[in-house]
Amino acid sequence: MINKDLSIDFLGVHFDNPFCLSSSPVGNCYEMCKKAYDTGWGGVVFKTIGPKHFEIDEVSPRFDTLDKEDTSFVGFKNMEQIAEHSLEENLADLKRLKTEYPNKVLIASIMGTNEQDWVDLAQLVEAAGADMIEMNLSCPQMTSHAMGSDVGANPELCKKYCAAVKRGSSLPMMAKMTPNITNMVPAAQASLAGGADGIATINTVKSVANLDLKRKVGLPVINGKSSISGYSGKAVKPIALRFIQELRAAKGLEHLPISGIGGIETWEDAAEFILLGSSTVQVTTAVMQYGYRIVEDMKNGLMHYMAEQGVDHLQDLVGLANHNMLPAEELDRSYKVYPKIDLDKCIGCGRCYISCFDGAHQAMEWDDDKRQPFCNQDKCVGCQLCALVCPVGAITYGKVEMKPGRQGVPAEKVI
Amino acid sequence: MKYMKEAEPSYTLSTVMEEAARCLLCHDAPCSKMCPAKTDPARFIRSVRFRNFKGAAETIRENNAMGAICARVCPTERYCELGCTRSGIDKPIDIGGIQRFVTDFEQQAQMDILHKGKPNGMKVAIVGSGPSGLQTAVTLLELGYAVDIYEKNAKAGGYLTYGIPEYRLPTDIVDFEIKRITNMGAEIKYNTTIGEDITMAQLKQNYQAVVLAIGSREAKSLPLFEGNPYMETAVSFLARAKMHHGQLELPDNVLVIGGGDVAMDVATTLKRLDVKHVTDVVYEEFNEFKASQKELLGTQAHGVTIIDGYVPTAADGKKVTFKHRHIDSQLVIEADKIILAVGQKANAAGLGLQLNHDEVPFTGYQAAPQVFVTGDIAQGDKTVVWSVKRGKEVATEIDQVLGGNQHD
Ligand SMILES: Cc1cc2nc3c(=O)[nH]c(=O)nc-3n(C[C@H](O)[C@H](O)[C@H](O)COP(=O)(O)OP(=O)(O)OC[C@H]3O[C@@H](n4cnc5c(N)ncnc54)[C@H](O)[C@@H]3O)c2cc1C
Ligand SMILES: Cc1cc2nc3c(=O)[nH]c(=O)nc-3n(C[C@H](O)[C@H](O)[C@H](O)COP(=O)(O)O)c2cc1C
Ligand code: SF4
Repeated sequence: MINKDLSIDFLGVHFDNPFCLSSSPVGNCYEMCKKAYDTGWGGVVFKTIGPKHFEIDEVSPRFDTLDKEDTSFVGFKNMEQIAEHSLEENLADLKRLKTEYPNKVLIASIMGTNEQDWVDLAQLVEAAGADMIEMNLSCPQMTSHAMGSDVGANPELCKKYCAAVKRGSSLPMMAKMTPNITNMVPAAQASLAGGADGIATINTVKSVANLDLKRKVGLPVINGKSSISGYSGKAVKPIALRFIQELRAAKGLEHLPISGIGGIETWEDAAEFILLGSSTVQVTTAVMQYGYRIVEDMKNGLMHYMAEQGVDHLQDLVGLANHNMLPAEELDRSYKVYPKIDLDKCIGCGRCYISCFDGAHQAMEWDDDKRQPFCNQDKCVGCQLCALVCPVGAITYGKVEMKPGRQGVPAEKVI
Repeated sequence: MKYMKEAEPSYTLSTVMEEAARCLLCHDAPCSKMCPAKTDPARFIRSVRFRNFKGAAETIRENNAMGAICARVCPTERYCELGCTRSGIDKPIDIGGIQRFVTDFEQQAQMDILHKGKPNGMKVAIVGSGPSGLQTAVTLLELGYAVDIYEKNAKAGGYLTYGIPEYRLPTDIVDFEIKRITNMGAEIKYNTTIGEDITMAQLKQNYQAVVLAIGSREAKSLPLFEGNPYMETAVSFLARAKMHHGQLELPDNVLVIGGGDVAMDVATTLKRLDVKHVTDVVYEEFNEFKASQKELLGTQAHGVTIIDGYVPTAADGKKVTFKHRHIDSQLVIEADKIILAVGQKANAAGLGLQLNHDEVPFTGYQAAPQVFVTGDIAQGDKTVVWSVKRGKEVATEIDQVLGGNQHD
């Protein structure tokens, strides 16, 4: 079995691998975090700890999934707030974990209702032995508007509360951002100005996943009603990657330390977050669906990827893709790529024909007798929808052609 | 030619993901508990599921040096797939198929997973290069032993090379698996029969331990057919078919006698070589058949006429008379060739080994000081995956007896 060093330093803390549980029920208590460490996770962000005076009172049931065809958990909706265990229990668990696992990273997630709460919580978790603090500025379903994503959407409050945490503790600190805003840069910059050392993102996306059509209410149903709440899992990965790319593209944030979160299930997902600038990654939904054991393939797969890339230090992969992401107006629009159809592979389903006619430019033609597609290049715009719908991979990128009147060498285009 | 083409189609990246997605990722996966060689299907299917194909290949290869072979020939319906929880919904996961995809990927990606351990200065001789001898060699090499394999034949692999037909197990695949093992450092000495060319005493003098992995290399016969010029044994016929890439002169009408998997292989091979009339007469009735359901159905699908419940009572050249075992019925079949598939037996001449019905009369692996047995001549199932299991186990036992690297 391959064995490569996956360790990385993030905000001055050494992680033996970049894989962390994100703050949520997967890191609710001592037993869970212990099992996660034993299974190989590099770090744990403990379930968000709130102030003693804030009563947590959860609904039941509290989850829903978005399914597509036979795939369940395309996305996951939850209505949970922060830790249900008492402050004392949580602090005792943190202390015990740090004593028993001194070399694993323990991150305390905290959330206050006012400046004093943030100061106090920061002090308490540092005293309990946490290595790092994550500020939850982003839960979208808190029962108080002084908490969660309402705070994270307000840069002023972000800055104020970050400063409060820094007054309470000298630990390295990341502010966890909400995606329920148009632009994450102002909130991130305000958090940094308040003293945050890095950014964790994303928290969940506000959502209604499904409705009960008979009762005419969203799911899950809580005594006949439901509520908008946070969405996570594979479906949010593109949204998370987008925010991370935008942060790293902002002026002054090119080297922003990031802990990436959102829809990570495989080593490939993790590698994407790393290439866009995440030094560590965090996971919840995939663990809720499959268990801590998924880290085994994430670690092993990432080691193989590093070996393939000829990289010995994970740090060398961080952010490598950022400069390849450009604003839409800067892309090369001078050429198009025609589809190439491999008729030996084609099984004659006609899906490319349907999609091109109904969803593209009516360039794919269909031979009724032979049950075979044919691409009419006069009409083809090279969108490659046909390749995406082909069930057997019979359509690939073919001839590259400059658009009429454009300069350039087709063979030099990186497609 | 149909004989040379692998019968089962292989998965593509998208169809293997579909099949892996059917896996329920059970908590206490029965499939892994039921693989005799501990190949750990639950673990490698999970790796496929999470797109870690290289990790999947590592799991298979490290647990089973015959991974690509077992993927093709394991009677999975008796082992891993028998336990599959998915049967509670519809049908088991095609574990063999997924294993084949992964080991094919391993080969294409030129992965080099097995490595020799730190040399411990000790040498072991293995007699026989069938799957059990090969697996024993791998585990011993990993533990730091030097290994020489003595093989009577001109090619290594035992029944993998000389028995299981090409359409079920391509020679390329077997050769590739063997090459991994010689690359690791095992030396194979061909055309050398222990007990004839070299004595056991010589081996014991030159090696710290000797492992007998001799399998059941000879065919059983029936007295009725002694000296019959139209008769050939199953293993002789299958070996000829494989060595000649299916280029054999065969008549249009062949009679097969026997009802095990080997008989099914013979009958199906004949059909794949375009023999028009293939009749298989079987001692057992269908409800007591020895051949696996899959092999039987495959043979029937090829158009072989199978007659169950009859014993041969007389043979006169091409003409064989059978009687039913329970009813008063007689059958006379005249064929231009008769192939006997009535079992194989071990030949331990000159090896100083006591066998009882082609098996050692004891459980475990040590036969005498310095002498160990493994493979088909040890007790238990006579399959490739059991040979792998016994290869791993005998190597571990030898290491315990010899002390291995424990003094470092
Ligand atoms: C036609 C056929 C089809 C089969 N199909 C399947 C199947 O689909 N699935 C499955 O799991 N199993 C199958 N089997 C069974 C499987 O092949 C055996 O269980 C397996 O090969 C046993 O391995 P082995 O290493 O013990 O012996 P073998 O494979 O028999 O190898 C023994 C080797 O030792 C050599 N040898 C013997 N004596 C000496 C000596 N004195 N000196 C030097 N070398 C010697 C022989 O030449 C041979 O190469 C099949 C068997 C046959 C015959
Ligand atoms: C049930 C549930 C509870 C969560 N609770 C918290 C929490 O207490 N604090 C927090 O910062 N994020 C919380 N999250 C958000 C996750 O930590 C994570 O940011 C988000 O789910 C996206 O990652 P994923 O797609 O891997 O689940 C919760 C998510 C889920 C699904
Ligand atoms: S998952 Fe566990 S806690 Fe939740 S409803 Fe089921 S049994 Fe109860």
